[in-house]
Order: sequence, then structure tokens, then C-alpha cells
Amino acid sequence: MWKVTIKGLLAHKLRLVLTALAIVLGVTFIAGTFVLTDTLHNTFDTLFGNIYQNIDFQVRGVAQFGSGGGATRNTVPQSILSTVRGVPGVAEAEGSVTGFAQYIGHDGKAISSGAAPSLGVSFDPNQAISALHLVQGRPPTTPHDVVMDLGTAQKYGFSVGDRVRILLQGPTQTFTVTGIAKFGTADNLAGATLAAFDIPTAQALMGEVGQFDSIDVVAKPGADKAAVQRSIASVLPRGVEIVTGQTVVNEQTSNISSALGFFNTALLVFAFIALFVGGFTILNTFSIIVGQRTKELALLRIVGASRRQVFVSVLAEAGIVGLISSVIGLGLGVLAALGLEALLSGFGVTLPSGPLAFEARTVVVCLVVGVGITMVSAIGPARRAVRIAPVQAVTEQQVEYEISLRRRFAWGSGITLGGIAALAAGLTVPTIELVGLGAVLIFIGVARLAPAIARPMASALGRPPARLLGMSGRLGRENSMRSPRRTAQTASALMVGLALVSAIAVFGASLSRSATQSVDNAVSADIIVSNSNNNGPGSFSTTVPTVAASVPGVTASSTVYGGQFEVRGSIQSLRALSTKNLTDTVILNMDSGSPAALARGDLLIDSTTANADHLVVGDTVPVKFALTGDSRMRIGGIFQSNALIGSYLVSQAFFVFHFQNPLPGAVLLKTDGSAGVEQAVQHALRGFPNVQVQSRSQFEASQSAQVNQLLGLVYALLALAVIIALIGIVNTLMLSVFERTHEIGLLRAVGMKRRQIRAMIRSESVILAIFGAVIGIIVGTGLGIALVSSLHSQGISSTVVPVSNLVIFLIIAGVLGLIAASWPARRAARLDVLAAIAVQ
Amino acid sequence: MPRASVGSEWVHPGRPFNLTNREIVTRTDEASTDQRAASPAAHSVDLRKTYGSGDATVHALAGVSVTFQRGHFTAVMGPSGSGKSTLMHCMAGLDVPTSGQTFVGDLDLGGLDDTGLTQMRRDRIGFVFQSFNLVPTLTAGENITLPTDLAGKKVDKEWFDYLVRQLGIADRLHHRPSEMSGGQQQRCACARALINRPDLIFADEPTGNLDSNSSSEMLGFLRRSVTDLGQSIVMVTHDAHGAAFADRVVFLADGQVVDELANPTADSVLERVRKLGA
Repeated sequence: MWKVTIKGLLAHKLRLVLTALAIVLGVTFIAGTFVLTDTLHNTFDTLFGNIYQNIDFQVRGVAQFGSGGGATRNTVPQSILSTVRGVPGVAEAEGSVTGFAQYIGHDGKAISSGAAPSLGVSFDPNQAISALHLVQGRPPTTPHDVVMDLGTAQKYGFSVGDRVRILLQGPTQTFTVTGIAKFGTADNLAGATLAAFDIPTAQALMGEVGQFDSIDVVAKPGADKAAVQRSIASVLPRGVEIVTGQTVVNEQTSNISSALGFFNTALLVFAFIALFVGGFTILNTFSIIVGQRTKELALLRIVGASRRQVFVSVLAEAGIVGLISSVIGLGLGVLAALGLEALLSGFGVTLPSGPLAFEARTVVVCLVVGVGITMVSAIGPARRAVRIAPVQAVTEQQVEYEISLRRRFAWGSGITLGGIAALAAGLTVPTIELVGLGAVLIFIGVARLAPAIARPMASALGRPPARLLGMSGRLGRENSMRSPRRTAQTASALMVGLALVSAIAVFGASLSRSATQSVDNAVSADIIVSNSNNNGPGSFSTTVPTVAASVPGVTASSTVYGGQFEVRGSIQSLRALSTKNLTDTVILNMDSGSPAALARGDLLIDSTTANADHLVVGDTVPVKFALTGDSRMRIGGIFQSNALIGSYLVSQAFFVFHFQNPLPGAVLLKTDGSAGVEQAVQHALRGFPNVQVQSRSQFEASQSAQVNQLLGLVYALLALAVIIALIGIVNTLMLSVFERTHEIGLLRAVGMKRRQIRAMIRSESVILAIFGAVIGIIVGTGLGIALVSSLHSQGISSTVVPVSNLVIFLIIAGVLGLIAASWPARRAARLDVLAAIAVQ
Repeated sequence: MPRASVGSEWVHPGRPFNLTNREIVTRTDEASTDQRAASPAAHSVDLRKTYGSGDATVHALAGVSVTFQRGHFTAVMGPSGSGKSTLMHCMAGLDVPTSGQTFVGDLDLGGLDDTGLTQMRRDRIGFVFQSFNLVPTLTAGENITLPTDLAGKKVDKEWFDYLVRQLGIADRLHHRPSEMSGGQQQRCACARALINRPDLIFADEPTGNLDSNSSSEMLGFLRRSVTDLGQSIVMVTHDAHGAAFADRVVFLADGQVVDELANPTADSVLERVRKLGA
């Protein structure tokens, strides 16, 4: 039986390739994701190892909240440095500070690269322990010197001796580049820019005079390191700890790992969507193959193949296709990883270079998933193959073992309802796994129901081509109506792809509208000053609010701060606003209490949090700040959801007291309405190129633009699923053309032109594509509405169905159908008439 | 009537034929031949097969009781729609009768499930079809050994070599069916039917797609495998000339056995057909 399976596969190479393609693409995506994230992980591991390789210990503040590399810590007093240096066994010790410093390029624009931070650091002149290694020039020695990272220097054309302006916490200052350095072995740290100052300058610029973020320690050679660590620990004050260099490396690495983990998961979700769609394509191909091989399989049954053998043979074929595709996908995945890396560095995220990591896990996951999906998809067709009666080999009767419409309907509805239930449960709890399961079940259920409506749908959709193209169109329509199950299965793959695209479109449009509305409902200011780096940490100099507020025509201003604190045991985002002009700049609709409570140092919370936590005005809650430690706060008021503020609000004065050197995130300005105020503010702030000044409508537009940018990325990733669905259509049409060789030969013999044959195949393809698109858009819109309505409490207040987008999707689907048909249509038109008629 | 003589090239070299899995038969073992004659290769009892229901009921078989003797070559004749093929399908376990019983040897097919029927077909029955029905992706040699391979058994190399030599396809073994003539394909199908030494071979219009030369060769081969190897064959045919190769002809009409003819000749068959048709 193996021989039959393998020979059968080899005899139909084209069929094999088309079937494999769907799986290859999905597995490529998975392998690429794994290789890329593993490579990044290893590289960062090596990088941190390099940076800290000479450091034995680090002295630092105890984590206030969070843990490891992502913890919030306080600074340590500079005096500890000399204490540590005095401990026997310590060879070297040096303090360091890190803060905000953003270069301004030669073009006057602030230099930033995506989500990576702009760091200002202290330069440790001791190259033995410094993470920064000078490749040119000299260390910074005066308050006007800076050492630049090699990545920034190369990309923005700076060299030693150049003058460069740097945005800081305080006013912008000009420095001289005295040296250029590498970060460990890399040109820069994953795209972050580095400005290194001498230690006192760095302390002053970062607002940490007399303080260090940490102190790096090197033990004397031959010293008992454990003993040295104990000795240092014994002289440290409360709230300061000592850890080994290795601990720091591990913390940094695991910090990066969790960030990469999210990236990994997000990419894998799209990979699995692609494979899921691929599964439909496989299912359909194998159904057709089993149908076409009915005679052969029946013959095998006659000469003694058991049902088991037939079942195993179909599954084995799927297994082999899956295995070959997965292996190819693995290989292509490595290339894809290289491509993704190149793409990232194109966006300015220069990754530390390192060898590609090809883990055993990648191979196992790709093979298991690739082979698994192919075989699971082939189970249905294999079961149908088993039901082929031996007598079908010798009788002409085509016994269609179509399960009864009623049973199909019952199963399809059951699965769909189960999916809806899972989705509803997943959206209310909310559990992302349940949402995913629900969506998958709905797709499978609808795909099972689709054959029931395939005939009337194909008939209706086929009317325009039938009218336009005459006989070709009529035949195309007939062909698409001929086998409802095949039509429905082929369309199902596209259905899934378009359902996801439509759901995202509904979600995006609603999000966009809500973002705009929430600005209206949250802000009464006329001008909003914010960081121009939309993706990165949005903060800027403390000078900006003062400058902006003093512009003539500005009647009121309020500065927005953001930070994290611990409330009732969990870490939450906290916003702060100056109380003075609160009502002029922000819309606070109070359910109870008053904004005036802010001035008393009370905490304001939004109604959603109040309801969830059963809090009322006058309650006190335990809170903790990194700088000031544990305390209790009174709830002074409860306000209705406000997109700008979030859930927790305190006064600016309170915030500044409880946070170390906070930087403003936005400034809200109210004007007297006179013309030109916006330009005046813009002019006043020209020295801060990392700041953007927007009117409220511009701010709203930029909020929508952010949403649309994200949508664009998601569409791009979903495009893969749509492409796989198209491959499915190509595959089906090819198989249909082979199957109808005789019939096409006949049509040609009785006078159908090549052009008409092509038109016939194309109309069938377009009908298939539109059929899938229509169902997909309907299902997807439903999913999108469900998703949006479940997020009402999260601030997505309005549900928008972007009809024009959906119509565009439909048109695109039709065009893609035309494209998918081009190869099969050419193939059909080229068939030799005599040979085609001879085929039985 | 062309019959090969005893001791001709048809005698298997060196060892007796194992025609079935259960009995060793030698050409000279008269007792055993008698025994085979005593128990039929296959028989049916009041076999009925109906399609549809109500007014649209079609009786493909309307109570057929027929016996196919061991070591005999039986032809089944009848006009189109007389139930020839249905009878064959039911008796070979390919189709399930509406009522009545079918036996292969002593084995009641009614008591077998799908697995049992599959095994029975694989081990005890060989098939030759009008449209050859070779697996297109396999070579001739692979097609011949397919039943043995499916059973997971080792191919009897000597027997295989003997069959392909006798059928004149020894030099075609590595060809695909599409690269062979119709006659070669049908001889390949014949070898496949014989490879497991079945109790009974069902041949459904085996010469229907062959030219007259190939037809004669095929019929001659079937005849010799009965005479020389003691094979039992049931052949469905339209063709009086072909039926003349058989030991006995069973005539079917409207799903019933209407006549029989022993030791037929082409003329006697034609005469009988005319009589029945009248």
C-alpha cells in the first residue's frame, strides 16, 4: 500500500506542489518567527554577558515593585561608593546613572528610532569595567563633552569634534562629540541611542546630583568573591542591595525574553491563522483527490485492500505532503528570519549581530504543526475514501456519499453555536484562548453550513457573468453550482481570511472613532503639546510647559504626568494633572466627590474601577510609591471614564513629590481663541524638536492615524492567510480542469474559442471568490461587532461598520479570483482538442 | 475446442500447485479432484437484489440459485440488464444482496463484515475486468503483486515468474499500464487475478475491450488455467465465441436463470441465444 501511496504522489507532482504550498507558507512563518526571536534572544544574552563580563557585583536600590530587570528602584547615595571602595577585596568600583537624553540631528529633527529609548548615561573612564568601549576619540571630561554610540554616529553622520544639540530633562544643551563608542560588541543597544557624559555632568543632567542608579564592583584577583559580597552587604544601608554580575545578566536577559515573548506570540498567532486557512485548502484538495481517485481506491478495495489500508494510505499521503512542506518551510523560515531582521534594521532597529539560532524546538514545532495540520485536515477526506464501495470500480454509477443535508445542517449549526458560546464566554471573562477557540469553531461550523447555501449563492452570484459573457459565463456559473460542497470548501478558506480582515476593519474603525470621540470627551484644551515620537516613551523636558504657558494668547495650561504605583497590591498607571486649570483643559465628569479633592492629596478613580473594586468616596486604599514607600490614600472622587486620564488621577504637586525627576508627557493649553496662537506656541517650542504642537482636531487625527498604522500592519500579516486561500482556489480550479479535460475538449470540438474557455474558468473563479468573501465579510463583521461591544467598558464606546472598506474587500476578492484563475484558465484553453476528447 | 493437453508447458515446473491456501492439489491426484468436484467453488441460494421501491422497484436479481463447480470454466450470458454483473458482484462479495445467500466454498458471505469480505476477496477470489482496471501509477509488475502486497505476504517468486512468462509479459514488468497495449494490460490483470492462487476467478467481459487476436489469446489462457491448473473461473460475456471456451454456459434473463448448456460450441450458444431471444 505504501508503494501505491508514494507512486501516486510522484505521479501528481503538480498537485503535490500546490497542496504543499499552503503548508510551506504557514510553516515558513512559524520557523521564521522562532529563528528570529531565538537569534535575538541569544544575541542579547551574549551582549549582556559581554557588558557585564568584567563586573563581579552590582550595588543598587532594592526593587520597590516589579522584579529583576524591569523593577522600579531608587537611586543610591554617592557616599556609598567610597564605602564600597573601602571594603577589603574590592579592586574597582564606579557609580553610574541613566536617564533621558535625545540627540538632535543636523537637520534639526530629534533623533529617535521606533520604540527604542533615547538614553543619557554616565561614561565610566575605567574601560576595564565600562560597558561602553571607545572606538574613536577620547572620554568626556568637561560638562560640554559627549561620547556618542557608533550606530547613531554612522546613521546620522556625526564624527569626533562635531557639535551636537541634545534634548534633556532641563533646557536643551549643545555638546562636543569627543568620542564614539560601541556598546559591548554592538554598534548600539537594539536601536537605542546613547549619549555618555562624564559622571558629574551625567548626574546633573539626569537630575541625580549626589546619587547613582547603581555601582559596579570588581573584586581583587584571587579574592574570595562570596566573602567580598558578604563584606559589602554588611556595610550597605537599608534599601540598598548587592547582586552578582551574573544576576544582572540573567535579569536583563529575562527582561528581554519576556518582551520578545510577546513579539513571538503575536507573530505566531498570524502563523497559525495562515496554517488554519491552509488546513481548509488541504481539506478541499484531498476531498477532490479522493473524489477523482474513487475508481482507483475502489479497485484497491476489490483486490484486497482493507478499509484501514485505504484510510492509512490517504493519511500517509497527507503526512508525506505535510512532512515535505514542513521541511521546505523550515528552510525558508531561516531566510524569512534574515528578511525580517533586514526589515527591522531598515526601520532603524539595529540589532546586535549574532549567528542565527536554529533550535531543536523550532524543528520539532514546525514538523509537528505542519504534519499535524495536514493530516488532521485529511481525516475527513480519508473517511470518505473509506466509504467508497468496491463495486464503484466496475460500475459507472457515481455514488456521491454526501452526508444528508439535515445532518450537515445539524452539525454545522451545533459547531457554530458552540463557537458563539465560547466566543461570548471568552469576551465576557475575558479569556483570549476562549475567544480564539470560539472563532475557530465558528469558522468550522460556517464552513460546514456553507454547502447548503452554495448552490443558490453561486446561482445568484453567477447571474451577472452569465449575462455579460453569454455561454462562457453561463457554463462558469453551472460549474460553480455543480458541486456545492467543493464550491463551499474552496470558498471557506477565503471566508476565514476575509472574516479576519473584516473583523479587524470593524474593530479598527470603531477604535478610531472611539479614539476621536474620547479626545472630545476627555479634553477641553485647544492645543495639545506632546512627544512627537508616537511609538516611544512620550516625555520631554520640564522646560516645555513653562515655555508653552508663557506664550501670549494661552489662557490656561495643565501639565500631564504619568507613572506607575502600587495600589491595593497591584501595579497600576497613575496620571497627574496640575490642579490650577484643571477644568479649563480637561473634561472631568464626576459621579461623586469633587476634583477639588486633588488639592488635598486625594486619589481620584474612574467609575469602572470604583465599581469593580467596590470603592466609594471616603474609602482609603493602601498605595506604594517607589520613592516614598507605603502609605494610604483617601478616595476623593469618582469620575466617568476618561481616555486621557485612565483609572487613577492625582495632583501634579503630589506626583512630583512621590516620583523621582518625573518628565511631563503632555501639556494641555487653553487659548483666548485669537488666531495664530498655535503658531506662536510652535515657534516658542522650536528648540524642542521632540515636541509636537497640535490643535485638538490634529491630535484627534493623529490618534486615528496611530490606529490605522497598526491596522496596516495587521492587514499585512493577514494578507498571508488570504494568499493561502487564493492558492486553494488555484488548486481547486486546476484539479477541476484536469477532471473536466474531456468536457473541455468537447466544448472546444463543438466550437468554443480559447478565449471563451478562459472566460468560463475565470467566471467560475470569481464566483468562488465572491462567495467566500460575502460569507467571510458577514461572519467577520459579526465577530468584529462582538469584539467591539465586549470592549465598551474599555473605552471603545462606538461600534462602526466601515461599509466602504468592506465593499472594497469584496471587489479585491473578485479581482484576486480573476488572478487565481489565470493559470488554470490558460491551461484549460491550451488543452489539445483531440487528446482531451480521447481522455475518459 | 482448443484444449491444452496434459503434460504441456502449463505444468508448473518442479512442484505441485497450491491452488488454495488450504489444499495441495497435484495434477495427478484424482481423489482430490473428485473432492473438489464434490464441493462447489461458489453457489447462491435464491439470490435477490432489488433497487428502488414501490412502482419504481427494479428486480436486478429475482431469485437466482446457481452453482459454480470447482475446476470448471462457467460462462454467464444474457442480454443487457439481465443481471449478469449484479450476480457476479453479489457472489464476489462486492455488492450486498437484498435477500438470499451466497457462498464461496463453504463460506457464507452473508455472515461477513467488511473486513471479512475484504479478506475473502483478497485471499480466495481473483478479478478480471473489461476495462483492465490496473492502478495507473504502478508498473505492471507492481500491479500483479498488489494483492499479495496488500495482504502483507511475500510474493512467491517462482509462481510470479511462471505466470508472467506464460502470459508473455515478462519483458513489460517495468512499464506503466499507459505504456502497454490493451492485450498486455489484460494479461497483466490476469496475472494479478492468479497471483494469490484464488479459489475462484470472476471475469467480467474480459475480452470486451480487446481486438480479436488478443481476445483469443486471453480466452485460450483462461481455458488452459482451468484445464491445466485446475482453476475455477466464472466469466460474464456477451460473446458466443467466447462462451464456447467454457465448460458450461448459464443463461440469465430478467434476473433469473433461464437455461444452461454443457460443453458449448459457438454454434450451439448462438442457437440457444436466438431461441431465448425469440
